[in-house]
Amino acid sequence: MDTDKLETLLGNQAHEFDLAVRITKEEDIAVARQMAKQLAQEMGFSLADTTKIATAVSELARNIYRYAKQGRILLRKKNAGKSEPAIEIIAADRGPGIPDVDLVLTKGYTTYERSLGIGLSGVKRLMDSFAIYSEVGKGTVVVAEKRRRRF
Amino acid sequence: MRSLLEEVGEERVAEEIVSIASEVPDFPVVKVLQQALRISAKMRQEQEEALSQLRQTLSELATPIIRIWTDMLLVAMTGNIDSQRAQDIAERLLNRVSSTRAKVVIVDVTGVPMIDTMVGGFLIEMFNATRLLGAKVILTGIRPEVASTLVKLGVDFQMVSIARDLEDALRQGIAITMEEAQKRRQLALNLAKGGVGEGNEGNAF
Repeated sequence: MDTDKLETLLGNQAHEFDLAVRITKEEDIAVARQMAKQLAQEMGFSLADTTKIATAVSELARNIYRYAKQGRILLRKKNAGKSEPAIEIIAADRGPGIPDVDLVLTKGYTTYERSLGIGLSGVKRLMDSFAIYSEVGKGTVVVAEKRRRRF
Repeated sequence: MRSLLEEVGEERVAEEIVSIASEVPDFPVVKVLQQALRISAKMRQEQEEALSQLRQTLSELATPIIRIWTDMLLVAMTGNIDSQRAQDIAERLLNRVSSTRAKVVIVDVTGVPMIDTMVGGFLIEMFNATRLLGAKVILTGIRPEVASTLVKLGVDFQMVSIARDLEDALRQGIAITMEEAQKRRQLALNLAKGGVGEGNEGNAF
């Protein structure tokens, strides 16, 4: 069902995005976070939302590093019509995949010993839209979006 | 050759070799290239060594743990916290708390730009361990944007007291240590008055 979507997302080309960061070591998490922060600031996001975006990227990058060992964080500006611009975050890896997607979104569930188990559900709450596609043996893709708000 | 390479950089050297080779038919390209690669590898190794030295220095500059008052420690956290730094801070703090018998630990996170669930989890672990050593933890320096992010993430610091700034934290901390001192003085007085077991006031026991 989600397999086609997952394959297309995993096949995303880096040049279609404003930012692409490869995650292979722990330092890459900080790099991804820093670049996301910069992009959000350039796009005129408020400090609170910039922090939320950077935190979400940090969580997603850490998940890639922890569970899949390597993957990519892709960021893209979206300017769809009249609505406010938005930032799209895609975290993609060809790692082991998640057997039960609903379970990992449950607060407190984790397979990693030193973890609060609120990372993915936290990202969902930090962002405006959130979708996760995963298949065991194929990989995992998280697509999230945050719209800019003007006060 | 060596200093030449250092001055012009690798890319220019590569271009130079190509242009010389096209003009001079029997120019020893392979030999020159080998030499150039060897030197650039050596330079890269030196750079990596310098980098790891810098990293070492940086980790030694780690979070200071300062005794700011009787029985009170201050942990001033700055910058990005990765798992290595987190481990290091927690270990040093727990050792300090146990060796100084501190009653209060103020943790200031003003300099931490972002708290995700990893840093949050690390803080919670460190706070709980500190409390197990018999010290109270006062957390301060949570910035507004970090506060809203923490609430969304669901990271909960309910196990510690929160202070709005360092001044407030210090005041709370002093109140706690004063109260402790007061209790101890009362206990000593009671002991001096009537000895143990008579319990003339009873409240200290």
